[in-house]
Amino acid sequence: MTIELMEKLKEAVIEGDEVAAYECAVKALADGMKPLEIVKASIQPAMDVVGEQFQNGEAFLPELILAGDAATKALEVILQEVDGSGESIGKGTVVIGVAFGDNHDIGKNLVLAVLSAYGFRVVDLGVNVSVKEFIAAAEREKADIVAISTLMTTSMPYQRELVKLLDAMGKRDQYFVVVGGGPVTPVWTKKIAADGYGRDAKDAANLCLKMVESGKKPPFDEPMFEGALDAASSI
Amino acid sequence: MQNKPDIFEILERAHTGEYCSSKDWDLKKVRGAIRRALKKYNLENVCDTENPINTDYDLADTFYKAGFEVALELGFWVDDTERIIQVSQEELENALKFAPSELLVGEGKDATLLKARTPGDPYLCKQASSLGITVSEDIYMQLVTGIAEEREVDILEAGSLTTVRGHEVLSGTPWETLMGYWHGQYHREARRRAGRPGMGAIGSISAVTDYGQFGAYGTPGGFRSTDLALILFPSEMKVDYRTLNKVIHTLNMGGMVKADSPGMIGGMPGPAEGAVVSNVACSILSYAILQNHVGGGEIYDVRYLANVNREGLWALGMVTQALARNTHILIHNIANEVSGPGTEKLLYEIAAGQATLASCGSSLSTGPRTAGGRLNDYITPLECRFTAEVTHKASGMDPKDANEAVKQLLPLYEADIKTPDVGKPYQEVYDVATGKPTEAWEAVYRKVKKEVIEMGIPLDDC
Repeated sequence: MTIELMEKLKEAVIEGDEVAAYECAVKALADGMKPLEIVKASIQPAMDVVGEQFQNGEAFLPELILAGDAATKALEVILQEVDGSGESIGKGTVVIGVAFGDNHDIGKNLVLAVLSAYGFRVVDLGVNVSVKEFIAAAEREKADIVAISTLMTTSMPYQRELVKLLDAMGKRDQYFVVVGGGPVTPVWTKKIAADGYGRDAKDAANLCLKMVESGKKPPFDEPMFEGALDAASSI
Repeated sequence: MQNKPDIFEILERAHTGEYCSSKDWDLKKVRGAIRRALKKYNLENVCDTENPINTDYDLADTFYKAGFEVALELGFWVDDTERIIQVSQEELENALKFAPSELLVGEGKDATLLKARTPGDPYLCKQASSLGITVSEDIYMQLVTGIAEEREVDILEAGSLTTVRGHEVLSGTPWETLMGYWHGQYHREARRRAGRPGMGAIGSISAVTDYGQFGAYGTPGGFRSTDLALILFPSEMKVDYRTLNKVIHTLNMGGMVKADSPGMIGGMPGPAEGAVVSNVACSILSYAILQNHVGGGEIYDVRYLANVNREGLWALGMVTQALARNTHILIHNIANEVSGPGTEKLLYEIAAGQATLASCGSSLSTGPRTAGGRLNDYITPLECRFTAEVTHKASGMDPKDANEAVKQLLPLYEADIKTPDVGKPYQEVYDVATGKPTEAWEAVYRKVKKEVIEMGIPLDDC
C-alpha cells in the first residue's frame, strides 16, 4: 500500500497534478509515514525523472513548472506535520528574480521549477527587479539564498551591486548570493564576490542544496561552482 | 481602407483586453493552444532529425495553418497590464496583406534592397553582421569598421557596448540613454570610415531597454530612419511597454520596425514542432500588433543555448518555409552558433545555419553569434565575411541540396555543442596594429571554405 501510494504521489508530481499530489501526501501522513520518508520515496525521485526528461527533450519548461508546483503543494502539507523541525525537509527559502533592466524570464523559470522540486520554498520576484527589491524580499521572506540571473551584459553589474549593497548594509552574512544567466561565468562570480554560480537549472538547484547543507554561513571565501563548465567558464 | 489596428488601437487594447495572469498565460493559454494545434493538424513528432532541412512543403503549409489559428486564438499578452491584445482574422490578414514585400535599407549606392523570398529563391538573402557580442570600447571602432569593410556584408549591426567613455553602463538607467547615443555615433562613424556612409544598419543592439533606443535611433549622427530599428520583445507571445515604447519611438522618427522574438524549443511551446507553431503565430502577430516592417522566423533551443543542433536547424528551416510560402513578409532569421573565433567548428556551424535559412526563403539574416554571444571581444570580421558568403551563395540552393550539405556539416561539430571551443578574442586572432586576421585564422577560413564547397555549397574558391 505504502509503495503504491508513493508511486501514485511520484506520478502525480511528474504529471504536474497538484490536487492528486496534495491528496497523496495527506494520505501518506495519515498512514503514519514519516515526512522525510515521503520526500525521499516519491517527491525527489519524481523531480529527478522530470529533470531527465527535460534533458532528453521529452519534457519542457511547462512540465518542469507544473511538476515543481505539484511538489510544492505536497510539501506544504508535509511540512505542516513536521512542526518546527521543517528545515530537515524544507531546504530553506530562495528569493529569485531577473536583474533590473532585463525582462528575459525563461532561465529564471527553469531554476525556480527545479528549486521547488528540491524542497526549497521559492519566492519569485519576476523580471526587471531592482537590487533594493531583492534585499527587501530577502528580509521579508527570511530567505537563505538570493538568486539573481540575467541574460544581458548591461544588467550583470546589478549582480555586483547586490553583493555590494548587502555589504554596505551589514547584511552580507545573512544571505548566500547565487548568480546565473547566459553571459555570467565563474570568473565574474569570483570577481564580484558572490557565493556561487550554476551553469544550468539543475546545477543551480544542486548548488543551492550544497550551500544550505554546507553548515557554513555566508559569505564564502571562495565561490562554489556547479555544472559541466565549458571553455568559456575560465574567461 | 486598411482595416488593421493602428498603434492607438493597440495601446487601447493593451489596457482593455481580457485580463490573464502571467502563469495562466504561460501554462494554460499558450501551452494549451499550441498542444491543441499540434494534435489537430497531426504535427506531433514530425521533426526529422535525420533530415534537418524539410523538403515536404505540404508539411510547412500545415504548420502555417496551425500557427495562424494559434495567432487568432492567443494574441499578445502585455506584461505591464496583464491584458491580452487580440486581433481579428480580418485584421491579421490585412496586416499581412499590407506588409512590405520589398524594403530599401540604407541610403544611396550603399543601400540594400530586401525582398520577400520563397524556398530556393535565387534573389539573395541579405546578411547583417554581426550579432550583439559585447566589444571593448578601445577596439570598438576598429572592429566595427572592419566588419563594415567586408563588402559581402550588406547591413551593419555589429557589437554592443558595455561602457561609454570608460564608464560602466547600467541598463534601465540614464547611463543606457547616454550609451545609446554614443553607440549610434560610433556606429555611423564606422560606416563612414569603411567607405560606406549610406550602408544600412540595425540599431541599437546596445539598447536593452527603451532608454537605449531613445538615445540611439533618430538622434542626429546616430541611426537613421532608413536603418532598421531593432525591437526585441522579451518572450514569444509577450510584449511590454518597453517594446511598445520602442515601436512608437521608431514610428515617430519615420523609421522601420524590425521586431522579433524566437520560438523557444524546450520553453513554453515545448518541442521543436511547438516552437515552429509558436513562432509562426508570433511572427505574423508582430505585423498586426507591433507594426512590423521586417521580422519573424527566429528559433532558439533553450537546452543548447543555440539553434545549430539538429532540432534547431529543422525548426529554423520549417518556420522559414512556412512563412515564406504563405506570406510575403520579409523574414529575418538568426543562426545561433556556440563555437568561437579561430576555430573550424565555428565556420561549420555558420555554414549549416546560413545554408538552412537562406535556402528556405529568409530575406535577411543576422549573425554570427560567435561563442554563443557570451564573451567580450569574441567576434572578428573574418567570420562575418564567411557568414555573408554562405548566406549569399546558399540563396539559390534547392532545400534538398542544402539538406545534403547540412547533413555532412552536423557531424563535424554537434558532439561539442554543450561544451564548445569558444576560440580566441579579436585581439588574439587579429593583428590590432593592422586590423588584419592572423595567418593561422585565415588558414582555417581557407581550409573550411574548400571543405564547404566540396559539400555542395557553391562558394567562390579562395
